[in-house]
Amino acid sequence: MLIPLYGFLRGDTIGLIVLAQDTDTIREIGAKLQEAASIRVAPAPSVDVRHRGRLLDPERTVGECGLEALERVDVAPRAS
Amino acid sequence: MLKRDQWLDLARKLDWDFTYVDAREVYPEEISGRPWLPHSEWKDWDEPYRTSFAEYVATQHTKELSVQAVRQAVGRVEDFQALDPSWVNGLKLHAATLPLAEFAAVIGNLRAARFARDSAWRTTAAFGALDELRHTQIPLLLMHDLVRWSPQFDWTHRFLHTDNWVAIAGRHLVDELLLGSNPIEFAIATNFVFETGFTNLQFVGLSSLARGAGDRMFEKMVQSIQTDEARHSQIGPAVLRKVVEKDPEYAQYLLDKWFWRTWLFFAVVTGFSMDYLTPLKHRTQSFKEFMEEWVLDQFQKTIVEFGLRKPWYWDKFLEALDLYHHMVYASAYTYRASVWFDFALPGPEERAWLRQKYPKTWDLLDPVWGRVTDRWKKCGPGVEWYTHGATPVTFCDLCQLVLCGGSPMENTAQTLVHGGKKYIFCSDPCRWIFEKEPDRYASHEDVVKRILAGKAPANLIDLLTRTFSLTPDTWGKDVASGRYAWLKEPSSAPVSR
Repeated sequence: MLIPLYGFLRGDTIGLIVLAQDTDTIREIGAKLQEAASIRVAPAPSVDVRHRGRLLDPERTVGECGLEALERVDVAPRAS
Repeated sequence: MLKRDQWLDLARKLDWDFTYVDAREVYPEEISGRPWLPHSEWKDWDEPYRTSFAEYVATQHTKELSVQAVRQAVGRVEDFQALDPSWVNGLKLHAATLPLAEFAAVIGNLRAARFARDSAWRTTAAFGALDELRHTQIPLLLMHDLVRWSPQFDWTHRFLHTDNWVAIAGRHLVDELLLGSNPIEFAIATNFVFETGFTNLQFVGLSSLARGAGDRMFEKMVQSIQTDEARHSQIGPAVLRKVVEKDPEYAQYLLDKWFWRTWLFFAVVTGFSMDYLTPLKHRTQSFKEFMEEWVLDQFQKTIVEFGLRKPWYWDKFLEALDLYHHMVYASAYTYRASVWFDFALPGPEERAWLRQKYPKTWDLLDPVWGRVTDRWKKCGPGVEWYTHGATPVTFCDLCQLVLCGGSPMENTAQTLVHGGKKYIFCSDPCRWIFEKEPDRYASHEDVVKRILAGKAPANLIDLLTRTFSLTPDTWGKDVASGRYAWLKEPSSAPVSR
């Protein structure tokens, strides 16, 4: 099932729509947003994805995390 | 023979008491606005220009002759071809957003010319309507000659008739500000906040910039418009004074709402022009400096004089002065095919100037330009798509502009569930405006919602051509197609630290 999300990548100047599937992992969501923003922001090797301030497990899926259409996710380079 | 001031009020201030109908039927609150007050409360309404119709016609005729003379002298295509291409694209941006918004202001003024509560106010609003009709026609006339040179100038007329995302945002603003508002809200929102606060002074600044850039036609056009604005904007303070006296919280609400709404659009149009599309050698001050010198100082003094407070979000607004138009420009540059004008890529000198003018925030923004520059270097001139996005961007459910609030470190977008539907806003003030009058805004669909509902295509090219009304000839490109001498230099590090 398609779950469009509002994605905000740290370092970017604009929010983008991430067209996620409920079966996508959180890691894949981070990668999709980085790819979409790569014109403006160089991709980081690994990122954290947060929803309402909560850090999401990169191995869980969008559906498992309870993300619903048109919710906001924030993606930021993982602090080393 | 009567002296002017002895007969003038017979021509402009002639009210009477109604005997066959109630004044509330002649001036219903729904159309005339609130607070609804008996005419005795408005009878002393006045403004400083006190123009008669004969004087109005004579003055406007002189202005018209002056614009025509400049048009004949420097209004040919060759005159515009001699200008810097970046400046010409700032002209395309202004030319498109001006005329049909001005035409919407004709309607707002005409409503006031009938339903405003005092005859002197109605008379001044009638002149305002004539002014705005003129402001519609001047750019349509002047830019029409340029269409044969660049079809992007056709957007001077085309813009507000399209579902281009900027036009959707523009219509969302002017439909409420100019077409739908009652004379009291119109006077405070348009005449006081937008004209007195922003555009009246903006035109002074733009005219000076145009002179520096060698664009005598645009200089004369905005000067001519500004002199009209200076007159009819005087309706605003005269109405605001009474509303503050009778309902100060409503006056404060209108001020807070309209300052934010008009600021956002103003920042995009004027911020782009001053900080990016005016050639560096012709820039006299940054957009922020212009705002501080010409808008903020005067606006703050004025609202204190009226007994009003600074809008509740003032600190956020001051932060946005350093960021908002930069965030939108960088985003729009990488989606430039979605608009009808071309964009300049800031080079090392421009970025050094921006760093100097925006020392608090430029470190956050400069990496984006470093990244775009690197990609141009990789692909070489002419390959527009390599620095162009393909993923749908996001839009605010209030202002309809892109979600570019805050900074690259933290976007200020706010979500809300209302009536079982999800909304997103670029900022706290946009969310606050929505929540104050949700029924007014809730049914409007932004571009993303249209795509998700199947009313607009998700494919970028289809979206540009079918929804945004663009063609490969008219959609925006890099103004130099990536052919900048400095792009041959091999560095991507931040410039001029």
